[in-house]
Amino acid sequence: MKPAGLITSLRAMAVAAAVLLVPVADVPAVAAAAPQPETAAPTTELTISPVDLDGPAIAAVKVTVKNTGPDRMRSLKVSFAGPVGWLVQPTARSVKGTFAAGATATADFQIQVPEQRPGFTVRTFTATATYKGGDGAQAATATRTQTSGTALPNLAAAYNNVGVTDENDTAPGDYDGDGNSFSAQKLADAGLTPGGKVEALGAELSWPDAAPGTKGNVSSTGQAITLSGSGSKLVFLGSGVTSGAVGTATVHYTDGTSSTGSFGFPNWSFDPADAHGATLVASSDGRNRPDGYGNAGIAYRIFAHSVPLDATKQVEFVVLPSNGNIHVFDMAIAP
Amino acid sequence: MPDIPAVSRRLLLGGALATGALAAGVGTAHAAPLAQAGAAPAPTRRRRPGQKSMIDVPFDVHKTVRVGVIGLGQRGSGMSEGWSVVPGCTVTAVCDIREDRARRTADRLAANGKPRPAEYGGSDASYAQMLRRDDVDLVYIATPWEFHYRQGKDALLAGKHVIVELPIATELDELWDLVDTSERTRRHLILSENCSYGRNELAMLKMSHEGLFGDVTNGHGGYLHDLRALLFSDTYYTDAWRRLWHTRSTASFYPMHGLAPIAAAMDINRGDRMTVLRATATEPKGLADYRERFIPKSHPSWKETYVNGDLVTCLIDTDRGRVIRAEHDVSSPRPYSRINSLAGSRGIFEDYAGVMATSGGRIYVEPDHSGHAWKPFDTYRKEFDHWLWKKIGDDAADNGGHGGMDYVLQWRTVQLMRAGLVPDIDVYDSAAWCAPIPLSVKSLAAGGRPVEVPDFTRGSWVNLRLGLDSRTSEMPPVA
Repeated sequence: MKPAGLITSLRAMAVAAAVLLVPVADVPAVAAAAPQPETAAPTTELTISPVDLDGPAIAAVKVTVKNTGPDRMRSLKVSFAGPVGWLVQPTARSVKGTFAAGATATADFQIQVPEQRPGFTVRTFTATATYKGGDGAQAATATRTQTSGTALPNLAAAYNNVGVTDENDTAPGDYDGDGNSFSAQKLADAGLTPGGKVEALGAELSWPDAAPGTKGNVSSTGQAITLSGSGSKLVFLGSGVTSGAVGTATVHYTDGTSSTGSFGFPNWSFDPADAHGATLVASSDGRNRPDGYGNAGIAYRIFAHSVPLDATKQVEFVVLPSNGNIHVFDMAIAP
Repeated sequence: MPDIPAVSRRLLLGGALATGALAAGVGTAHAAPLAQAGAAPAPTRRRRPGQKSMIDVPFDVHKTVRVGVIGLGQRGSGMSEGWSVVPGCTVTAVCDIREDRARRTADRLAANGKPRPAEYGGSDASYAQMLRRDDVDLVYIATPWEFHYRQGKDALLAGKHVIVELPIATELDELWDLVDTSERTRRHLILSENCSYGRNELAMLKMSHEGLFGDVTNGHGGYLHDLRALLFSDTYYTDAWRRLWHTRSTASFYPMHGLAPIAAAMDINRGDRMTVLRATATEPKGLADYRERFIPKSHPSWKETYVNGDLVTCLIDTDRGRVIRAEHDVSSPRPYSRINSLAGSRGIFEDYAGVMATSGGRIYVEPDHSGHAWKPFDTYRKEFDHWLWKKIGDDAADNGGHGGMDYVLQWRTVQLMRAGLVPDIDVYDSAAWCAPIPLSVKSLAAGGRPVEVPDFTRGSWVNLRLGLDSRTSEMPPVA
């Protein structure tokens, strides 16, 4: 890469700032030499301009850094990134000059925006500033989330997997990618019937009201699901396939803010029941294989797990983790 | 037999150019990594006064695109009909060193109800007469490789836009000269890279831009086509021109069909660039073995010695740290493949995966897939289908060769000219994609040593810009 440099406008801005501010040489030596407190909470304000998502296009993005600290800001470097795989040019810019308390600096970037996809999308952009002086925190980060489209009306609208089959017709099932599925009969023995209530981790959930052999759970690949209400946590009902069924859910609130939480499910069969901090909800005996019921004596399980919510806010929608190994049968807000 | 231009001694020997490049030693912003790779720096070319970049330069609006065709062999004759059926396009002149070919092509177009084009032929200078016509806007060149550079340059100098079959040239200084000539004449010269408009390739490109593969780290492409029977045919390649290249040099002659789609998906010249190339070559066994088994001893090919490796592989580094593997093999028994594989931190696509899918491709991307199992590409191709295929895919199937790619290329080229848009593929892309031909010669002559890939954009590659992943637009209506 070429060394990161200023574009003309940035140079102009830096020069203008220098004109307005105390010359660098006048900065008290003690401030320049003082060790920076590494634990200082950043108050530096970073803002990312709106990104035009009408692609395919090359969009211009401006990151603004405001020095809200008491000291002059110097050695400012701003980096910017979009969703994974989106090309950004440059990825970082060094801003020449120093900036007094209250002064701002801007850095311009280009980002390659793909064609808008149908359905709901969440695009997250991140800017990071590293610096000396200012608030003493040495770094600050900001994210900008832009959405397009409409979230799915409910979890059922996202059902994309046949996880439960009748023992007399096991062929439609493919919970684990190998054609295996839960037995509807054995789940009923464990208390899970279509439309039935399930209480877990303080939430009231429902077992999917889907006939055996039909799609009745969500292999979690980042779908956005409408959900309303407020509470202390969001509870997920499900289990994992293969291994590493962990991921991060993002909860969006009606005020435009969001929070994230990570959770995981044990494999439906072989992991310890408390793997990833999950709670066992039900165990069914054996499973349905493509050629019929089998594996009797082995437990195939459903778990619950949760992520925290900001109880002061109203949930608007939830973006499920981007990990298809997580299978979700329901989710609900616990008080 | 037509006069074949003398093939450069540098292309045959390679080493001389490599030595010259070392002596030039002009540093670049990327000197450190190149030095680490052991690559010889490529000479930097300065623009002449008044010469300006052709990046983002739109075509002038052409109400009708009038095409002159040079070269009416297998490829040129078929493509002439292709141009003639694109809305707003007409073939006004055709040329071949063999007059009868020009006449037959004109007859066929007239028989199809199209205006009869003017005919040129009889000598290797006939095309120059055609270039003097003022009713030719775009010259399409489909002659043997050794003619492309000269004819392309002459067409630019005659004030025409040019689209050239692969490659646009086979020497580095020729590639630079075409870039410079395009910049001086303000006319576009475009590689006729039909595979860049392939349906799978374009979907792969759009998926890459969406980030479906995560941060793209590597891609593989190539031209793996068992041409042995055609190479030894007495009629398919006029005067066996293509087979004769295998007697001249060890080089990756024709990797562009696989390289170009990977380069597009990596935004080469649009935010990234190819920096270093190293080549390997297997022994030349395929053609001699085929001749031994299938060609009579009386055939003229028995006087030939084949020197080009059957499989020539170029490994190309990019400025953003990606790696491209471009292969060329036309002399081994094998099913056809352009490989078309792109991979990154979130997944991989592979084309030519057999019967797994209607599209022929397979895919594995997180979080959609897990369990180490490939999935068919079909649903992804449908979701990321390029607007060109949605719009004219049916027409392409009816009119175009090579699965419709030819028609899409021709339709889009005409549309760009009629609407006055910026070309999807420009002279810089064309030069970069063809550069592995001479660079592979240099690298192989030096035992596989890394060689620097020239920056034909002269630094403008850092700027993001649209290319084949274009915005939807309409073909202007035909009056």
